[in-house]
Amino acid sequence: MPDNAIFYHAAYIAAAVVYGGYIVSLAIRTHRANERRRRQQNRSTVHGRSAGQS
Amino acid sequence: MTSSNRIADRDRFDWLLAAAVVAMVATFARVIYFTPIEARQGAAQKIFYVHAPSAFIGLYVGFGLVALAGGLYLWLRDERLDRIAASSAEVGVVFTTVVLLTGPMWGKPIWGTWWTWDARLTLTLFIWFVFVGYLILRGAIEDPATRARYSAVLGVLGALLVPFIHLSVYLFRTLHPMPILLKPGRPSLPSDMLATFAMSFISLSLLFVALLRARYRLAETRDALEAEDSADVSSVASLHAQPVR
Repeated sequence: MPDNAIFYHAAYIAAAVVYGGYIVSLAIRTHRANERRRRQQNRSTVHGRSAGQS
Repeated sequence: MTSSNRIADRDRFDWLLAAAVVAMVATFARVIYFTPIEARQGAAQKIFYVHAPSAFIGLYVGFGLVALAGGLYLWLRDERLDRIAASSAEVGVVFTTVVLLTGPMWGKPIWGTWWTWDARLTLTLFIWFVFVGYLILRGAIEDPATRARYSAVLGVLGALLVPFIHLSVYLFRTLHPMPILLKPGRPSLPSDMLATFAMSFISLSLLFVALLRARYRLAETRDALEAEDSADVSSVASLHAQPVR
């Protein structure tokens, strides 16, 4: 039986890095987009209130 | 629940994604510790359990869904279909990247070479470039309707490569082996290996669905941001357009 376990270890590490990296990138992008959305909503609420008061 | 509340809830823990990650870890453990080593190929054959399901899900399901959603978008003009297509393209590219990385790592010990320009490998690399181009195209067009229309056309045309990739091992002389599961007749795998393959296929499918859902939600939030920004720009423009008295 050939001894080539290093290739399969490397392949599983590569797969874990790609899938794991994508999950992390998605989490970061989602967090940033949600933050921006929250700021945008707060801004429009403040503007709406001041427009209503005037 | 309003759309803003829904978006505000999005920072919550994603249980589906967590379940997919746990399933993946369990699959990797089964592959490493509880699956027999194939006698002729040695341990490198275990690459099959991540390579083949990633290829099936990324190419056939991922890019197939891009074409289906894109085609339906061109007919119905529903922006949700455009979001599904964009999300599926991105997740499909991730899965195909794993295929293109793990394939050479399997090829080197078995074929004696990392890469060969045969039909199956070259077409897979080609479709990866097409869908990376699809994502770049989406980033380059500002108008949402134009972006959705152009990318739907590219997505449908790009996915036409998928049947050629599947049939390439029958149509051309290639180093890549024939399918051992997606073929007429019984799978050519012992039951232990078949069980590991089934587990890997299910957990990678779960990962695909979880990533697609998470990416769709990101697209939804970005579209809401874009719509609000363009509304701000048009209200400022209308203020400037008013004559000064």
